[in-house]
Amino acid sequence: MGHTVNTSSRLEGKVGIVGWGVYVPIWRVKAIEIARMWGFPEELTKSLWIEEKAIAGEDEDTVTMGWYAAKVAIERGGIDPNEVGAVFVGTESKPYAVKPSATIIADALIDTGVKSASDIEFACRAGGEGIRDSIALVMSGMVKYALAIGSDTAQASPGDVLELTASSGAAAYVIGPEQDSIAVFEGSTVYVTDTTDFWRRDCSPYPRHGEIFTGEPAYFHHIISAAKLLFEELGLKPGDFDYAVFHQPNGKFPLQVGRMLGFPKEKLLPGIVTPWIGNTYNGSALIGLAKVLEEAKPGSRILVVTFGSGAGSDAFSIIVKEGIEERVKKGPKVIDFLERKRYVSYGEYVKSRRIISKIE
Amino acid sequence: MKYSIPIFWRNKYSYYRLEFTKCKRCNKIAFFRRRVCPFCRSRDVEVLTSKGIGRVISFTVSYFRGSTNLESYPRIIALVELEEGFKVIGELSDVKPEEVKEGMYVEAVLRRFSSDDPYGLIYYGVKFIPRVKK
Amino acid sequence: MVRDVYILSTSMVKVDRYFNKSYKELTLDVIANVLNNGGVEYIDYVIVSTLLSDSILHQLDISTMLMQYLGLSPIPSFRVETGESSGLAAIELGFSLIASGKADSILIIGIEKLTEYPTNIVNENYSKILDYEVETIRNISPPDYAALIMKEYMKRYKVSREDLTVWPIKMHENALKNPYAQLRFKVSKEKVLNSITIAEPIKLLDTFPIGDGSAVILLGSENTLRRVSSEAVKVLHISSSTSQPLYLRDEILGFTALRNAFKRLLSRFKVNLEETLLEIHDSYSIYAYLILEELGIASKGKAYTMVSELSNVNLSGGLKARGHPFGATGIYQVCEVYSMISSKGLGELRYNGKYGLIHSMSGPDYNSRLCLLEKVM
Repeated sequence: MGHTVNTSSRLEGKVGIVGWGVYVPIWRVKAIEIARMWGFPEELTKSLWIEEKAIAGEDEDTVTMGWYAAKVAIERGGIDPNEVGAVFVGTESKPYAVKPSATIIADALIDTGVKSASDIEFACRAGGEGIRDSIALVMSGMVKYALAIGSDTAQASPGDVLELTASSGAAAYVIGPEQDSIAVFEGSTVYVTDTTDFWRRDCSPYPRHGEIFTGEPAYFHHIISAAKLLFEELGLKPGDFDYAVFHQPNGKFPLQVGRMLGFPKEKLLPGIVTPWIGNTYNGSALIGLAKVLEEAKPGSRILVVTFGSGAGSDAFSIIVKEGIEERVKKGPKVIDFLERKRYVSYGEYVKSRRIISKIE
Repeated sequence: MKYSIPIFWRNKYSYYRLEFTKCKRCNKIAFFRRRVCPFCRSRDVEVLTSKGIGRVISFTVSYFRGSTNLESYPRIIALVELEEGFKVIGELSDVKPEEVKEGMYVEAVLRRFSSDDPYGLIYYGVKFIPRVKK
Repeated sequence: MVRDVYILSTSMVKVDRYFNKSYKELTLDVIANVLNNGGVEYIDYVIVSTLLSDSILHQLDISTMLMQYLGLSPIPSFRVETGESSGLAAIELGFSLIASGKADSILIIGIEKLTEYPTNIVNENYSKILDYEVETIRNISPPDYAALIMKEYMKRYKVSREDLTVWPIKMHENALKNPYAQLRFKVSKEKVLNSITIAEPIKLLDTFPIGDGSAVILLGSENTLRRVSSEAVKVLHISSSTSQPLYLRDEILGFTALRNAFKRLLSRFKVNLEETLLEIHDSYSIYAYLILEELGIASKGKAYTMVSELSNVNLSGGLKARGHPFGATGIYQVCEVYSMISSKGLGELRYNGKYGLIHSMSGPDYNSRLCLLEKVM
């Protein structure tokens, strides 16, 4: 790349993941039903590799889903929630434009007021940003544990191709010191530019996007840049990794970018969840990572690269420690949520997402 | 402004978590955070938080249309007995009425109760969903 | 010194939807007779019972408003509210003022206007008879409790949903003879079972209609009796009690407030229920069965078997068919019993007996009140 890097990528395993949790709503709507409703050719769902998506029920939102994922993460980590010094909620679907979702989740789980809680916005990579900030807070000694949550009830205009994949879900990570961690960070990089591939104006209910522009100049450029930066800094190649998890707006993109970076399909498939739950925006890569953690053997090296429109990517290299199987057992797993499902009709889906609603 | 801020805020922990009160004098337990035992009037009480695991004792599917801020009808209202030995009246979610069975295991989760749309407060609280398998 | 208390006169309007009348006008209709007969200058207090006036009518201090409108000022007034049993609470207060010697003549007005707003707003406010912080705000409403109680009853006593349709059928039949009842049509078992579900298994025809009503009772001490006829009806006693919310009860089929109020009544007076005219609070048909069993009229789980033969219970049609204008209901019940045991009659209805017992309660027996009447010569 030929430029000086002033973000220190090497973390040398001093900080890690103490616990993790996910939440996916039970309700599913089939992508083919959405395609038929709006007259998309049925092959489109196959070309995007999207079968069905999870949608939040009428009484769910970013806060309730983030809460569940965080509760599981804390229980899995076996920590005292009052030792969590910071809570980050990365989301682009905040119930309140002004009022942090993080304080609600924090007070639901933590008693002490001695903590920070804030929401982060960076489209789909805000959860990843939360992990990066958590790492810094833990390493600097400012907190013992930090909780990074990615949670969204993703929006897409009815009739837009985005509607086939925009879904609801959450993931949460307790970040802490190496001795309490079950998977440690070998390194972390970030690559951010001002690139307007996808955005949502204040007060607009739905985002707009540049369609094909969201591909090469946005998704692919930033993921590849962040990943290559990480490889360079840590002196690693794709072959050194056992798994690669990417932000997954559909099932095809992560396979494509993975192939472009030189990963074989077997290392990419375990981290792919979007075909069955849709694109959970800030949950996307982080739910994929959770799924990999729940099957990886000790000693495995995992690459995780997030992507958020606007645009940017975080890249993490994570090494799994001995004893991970025990920690996996301590809470519901991603596959438990993949199996927990009930189908609803297009009409039930738009009603529960308040796309149609009764006026007063 | 339909919803009170202080009413919700001071009961926050009882709404965000499943709290109950144990009387140190008569040992009885009652749902919700209290300062006085409703059974023996003692003020020597302690407030505890339930783990949230319980079983459905009885339930009804309610179509009674009241508050206009309530999102979903019908509501499934259930009498749930928690592992700690007290009963709660609460709403079930994530389940279709025909799937509810007396005796089924449920867990307490944070959900939206109601919201003063479009610009008012959102009230969150504890509902019950079928126990998520581990 | 405890003095005797008598019912001097009563008046009611048909329970109905009165879009064209305000609460002031409806009350005026019902006390016109009292105003005409003179004697207004002798009224010491007016007690008003109304439940949703604060919310639906946007009116506080409603009793003073009525004094002003009706030209009754400077008579002092109260408003009493104890949920659905407000009517009997107002009578309890009036009774106490006379019995204690503080007053000689008291006018008790029950007034409720539920048709000022669409049903869901009435429902929303009616749900506030439960604990707002623990129940109402958490989306629990009164019919939900009735449904849970009905389910438990059916399970425990192995009684079917069809079996339990006897009450609404009987109530609608009775109401045909009550000119003041809101609903005056027969219902069949199929009609009850096919009516819309409120909270499964409670059907629309298990519960009361929404309506407006106004009823008034003139209570007086023995001094005031000289102006009236040879027969009189005494208010012998009113007892009342409260209980705990359903989720704190060990026995969800037990109505302990009613039980306590009844026990207190029996400790003072001998009551033979078979020879007493009863009006009980059947806000939901399942409550009627439980009340009959709690009073000892039927054995546990068997109330439904004797309903069709009952000739002394809810001859008015009960809350089910006569209606339930919340705050006025208790007053209606006392007016009806008074009318039937005295020579006045309720339409053509008369009861050949000396005693009347009125039961009113709020929610699933959160509080219960009993009023015992005796006809004397």
